[in-house]
Amino acid sequence: MKNFAYARAQDADTAVQLITQNQNAKFLSGGTNLVDLMRENIEQPDHLIDVTGLPLAQVEELPGGGVSIGALVRNSHLAANQIIRERYPVLSQAILMGASAQIRNMATTGGNLMQRTRCYYFYDTDARCNKREPGTGCDALEGFNRIHAILGASDDCIATHPSDMCVALAALDATVHVTGTGVERTIPIVEFHRLPEDTPQIDTNLQPDELITSVELPALPFARNSMYRKVRDRASYAFALVSVAAALEVEDGTIKNVRLALGGVAHKPWRATEAEKVLTGAKADEEIFKRAAAEELKAARGYKHNSFKIELAERTIVSVLKTLASEGGAR
Amino acid sequence: MSSPKTERRFVGKSVPRKEGRDKVTGAARYVDDIRFPEMLYGATVRTTSPRGRIKEIIFGENVPWDEFTIVTAKDIPGENYVALILNDQPYLVEEFFNHTEEPVLLLAHEDKFLVEKARRSIRFEIEEFSPVFTIEDSVNKREIIWGEDNVFKSFLVDKGNVDEVWESADVIVEGEYLTGAQEQLYIENNGMIAIANHEDGVTVWGSMQCPYYVHKALIKLFNLPEEKVRVVQTETGGGFGGKEEYPSMIAGHAALLSWKSGRPVKIIYDRAEDMAATTKRHPSHTRHRTAVSRDGKLLGMEIDFTVDGGAYATLSAVVLSRGTIHAAGPYLCPNVRIRSRAVATNAPPHGAFRGFGAPQSIFGLERHMDKIAKTLGLSPEEFRRRNFIQEGQTTATQQVIHEKVDLSGLMDRAFELSGYNEKREKFAEQNKSSRLKKGIGFASFMHGAGFTGSGEKYLESVVGAEATEQGNVRILAASTEIGQGTNTIFGQIASEALGIDYNLIEVAKPDTSNVPNSGPTVASRTCMIVGKLVESAALGLKQTLVGSGFLKDSGYTSEDFSNACRAYIEKHGALKSFSKYQQPEGINWDDEHYRGDAYGAYAWAVYVAEVTVDPTVYEAHVDDFVAVQEVGRVINPVLATGQIEGGVAQGIGYTLYENVVWRDGRMANNQMTNYIIPTSADIPPIRVFFAENPYAYGPAGAKGIGELPMDGAAPAILSAIENATGVSINHIPLVPESLMEELETETI
Ligand SMILES: Cc1cc2nc3c(=O)[nH]c(=O)nc-3n(C[C@H](O)[C@H](O)[C@H](O)COP(=O)(O)OP(=O)(O)OC[C@H]3O[C@@H](n4cnc5c(N)ncnc54)[C@H](O)[C@@H]3O)c2cc1C
Repeated sequence: MKNFAYARAQDADTAVQLITQNQNAKFLSGGTNLVDLMRENIEQPDHLIDVTGLPLAQVEELPGGGVSIGALVRNSHLAANQIIRERYPVLSQAILMGASAQIRNMATTGGNLMQRTRCYYFYDTDARCNKREPGTGCDALEGFNRIHAILGASDDCIATHPSDMCVALAALDATVHVTGTGVERTIPIVEFHRLPEDTPQIDTNLQPDELITSVELPALPFARNSMYRKVRDRASYAFALVSVAAALEVEDGTIKNVRLALGGVAHKPWRATEAEKVLTGAKADEEIFKRAAAEELKAARGYKHNSFKIELAERTIVSVLKTLASEGGAR
Repeated sequence: MSSPKTERRFVGKSVPRKEGRDKVTGAARYVDDIRFPEMLYGATVRTTSPRGRIKEIIFGENVPWDEFTIVTAKDIPGENYVALILNDQPYLVEEFFNHTEEPVLLLAHEDKFLVEKARRSIRFEIEEFSPVFTIEDSVNKREIIWGEDNVFKSFLVDKGNVDEVWESADVIVEGEYLTGAQEQLYIENNGMIAIANHEDGVTVWGSMQCPYYVHKALIKLFNLPEEKVRVVQTETGGGFGGKEEYPSMIAGHAALLSWKSGRPVKIIYDRAEDMAATTKRHPSHTRHRTAVSRDGKLLGMEIDFTVDGGAYATLSAVVLSRGTIHAAGPYLCPNVRIRSRAVATNAPPHGAFRGFGAPQSIFGLERHMDKIAKTLGLSPEEFRRRNFIQEGQTTATQQVIHEKVDLSGLMDRAFELSGYNEKREKFAEQNKSSRLKKGIGFASFMHGAGFTGSGEKYLESVVGAEATEQGNVRILAASTEIGQGTNTIFGQIASEALGIDYNLIEVAKPDTSNVPNSGPTVASRTCMIVGKLVESAALGLKQTLVGSGFLKDSGYTSEDFSNACRAYIEKHGALKSFSKYQQPEGINWDDEHYRGDAYGAYAWAVYVAEVTVDPTVYEAHVDDFVAVQEVGRVINPVLATGQIEGGVAQGIGYTLYENVVWRDGRMANNQMTNYIIPTSADIPPIRVFFAENPYAYGPAGAKGIGELPMDGAAPAILSAIENATGVSINHIPLVPESLMEELETETI
């Protein structure tokens, strides 16, 4: 690990100030991702700005029925929050299916949004990786690419975004609130993370001097009927091969509202808009679920070790929608 | 009340671990906890392609090379091979290399960060040769990469005359079975520290299973007399066979760097290097052709068993031997022919791993037994019962079984405990309508303890017991504590033999300058073979005390014993007693024909697995596991149960999770995020039961158990999956995408 300087910020403005003043600086929150990457010499910041002292650790109900989640709310607190569990069960489930209890106790909402890919070659400093060292090439393309992307990848990068929480946020139409030097702005979750194109070293549309302050969930009454399913290689300590976050509302056998997002398949949480189009207004049955899944995965492309994920994604979408339709979606 | 004669005070009790307190409190010192003044950090520069010739080594720019100690093959004072069996594996590549990750250069510097940078900056100019990666290509000599025919070793076991059975057989069943590599994944990575110079010779400290293997290898590498080489085991965080032969390599590397730099050198592998460069379980390929009678009796078995040894011979010959002998299992068959071979491929050498060839051949056999049963229209259990070996009958190597064997009894017990019969019926009914498919299956098997054949005779292991000035008894053995409980059971065996308190027994840290060669810590031999020597060395000590008048022959207390030790030392000086292995009467082994008493004793077992298969996402999960075995006398129930639970868990990993992905002869998934081992959340309750049948030549009647539990999980689980899905699968690992392939082919 390379040596670095450490500073602690007590409010958002100072944090932003510190990050702009120092070259090659990074925010530190739970540290569960960043510190690992530093130990492996993948991230080599010269300065760390500890933001864990910022007063951003609350989950608050908003006037319009939505909820605001502070950037420093720990993953375990968010998952256990009563409002979240009742109104947005998909989010609570997604978090609980990630990492381990110890890690979730440390990990924060902001850190989770910003966590970096788990591509094996990104982690292996002996390998070529355009995300770690732009321009060196991508060893995943011809390598062991089992957990890699099947949607939206580029010839420069086929890494996936590893977060479970963010897949749920994508299904829930969340917005990310950020603050930079003198400006505050909001970014819709689907625009927060980006596709790799030819600049895979850039994961998100957040600017280097911007701090995430909170995540807002809109009031989405039918999200009470939502769920998360994660297909993985083992029951814990495994990232999704494929995951599905969905919320469904069925009225008189017809799909009135649906939100669907996939994890483990792309460089960003994948909002399944094509499938949603097929589903909305259609009769809620297995046939339409299958058709919607196929429609979404039409653009998918498999590599040597991950082609199975295309079918797996389709099957998982269908099984989640079936469960939601039978468990309470029908009213 | 039991009579005082048979009452055991320590054996059969779960006394606390000798080193448990140190491990729990963090006081235990592992190799990476140790540092010496002026110490350098060493790194290994390795080949990046599978086969070829190094034309030039190109050192990168922006590295202060003059600050580095650099060792090449030219710096080796003695022989450039890791002395083991065939001595074909170099410490450092001279010109030609045979696998990726083969060591070429060694670097040392006091700045760890800089060593890494330097290592990464080095490139090789090479001429590539055509490599061989599969058993098939190696057997077919697509390219000759080792010796004259790519074969490290072959065996032939011949019993009766199998050629005569085919014509008259009612039914002939053939099958082909494949197993993959497996990484040992001990919790502590490999590592060594060395101090080496002309005056003092070579001393190494490190994580290992077999101090005297390292000792032997260093003597050759430095061309030094025995007493100039000292090997000390540090606390070792697991081995599973993975620290049997490879530590000799790392010790040699650290010592070469120290020899050249004149400073202590530490080499610690990180996980990625450890996984990519060190040994794994041999992949295997087994073919069966079996003749059976209509009423379900085995008439003839022809078995062809091949293991992939990787690029150098290392331990492949002995792994093959154990696999070969276990290939026909605990069944009586009058005519058996087993042909086997270990072949070369351009992968890092495969090596020792718990079970040592037996899990591979037993997998093939047990899957094949299910297939025969199905062909005959018998239940798998009924077919086994008709063929289980009995006392007085002979195994494939024509070893007469002299102990009472009751596999049918073990099976009854395992079935009762797991609810096998009821569940078979219940699941068949439920599966008709439910989305999730449930199944239950089993495997029956045996595992020999100790070295194969005449191995123990040649090893001539020695154990010592010495009286200490505090009045304790210290056991002197080279057997290592690697988490399995060596220290504790030695303590129990000695205290039981002497009739003194367990806390009066110390176990010396293995250090070749202080303990005799009691052989390697492998092959389920530590308890049964070395433990027996502990018992007799301890008794020898007592005899001396009694003979010299310091102790009564019986009726003494622990305190009397301690006093006697002290008094003896005061009067006569040091008191040590040594005991050397002697083969029990009546063990005969013919190495040339591979015939006779392959092992002193076998452990016998029936394991039952229950699974759920989710056909939507192709997940197979083990829900329950019952392991019933007969292992002689159990010395320490908690430790013994731990061995079985751990072995079964490792077996579950071997079956459903652990997939070594090869790319150009290199492990492509050498990280813990992509080489998937099961976590505690994936492992079902493992319910362990022992039947006890004391073995006359084991300490207090014990046999070996360390490897046994590795054998049964894979065939039992695949049998359960067959029961759940109706699909018979003949290869492991069975990861979700291969299960998907199998189930989909079946439904087309
Ligand atoms: C063994 C293991 C298993 C895991 N398994 C899973 C899993 O199954 N599913 C899953 O989803 N995740 C998993 N994770 C990842 C885990 O969720 C993340 O490590 C965690 O969410 C990161 O949060 P943190 O607060 O610790 O971030 P940190 O490590 O502190 O920071 C991560 C990044 O976010 C930036 N950052 C932090 N806060 C802010 C902010 N407020 N504004 C702007 N930038 C910020 C940091 O600068 C840094 O670049 C696993 C992690 C480990 C170690």
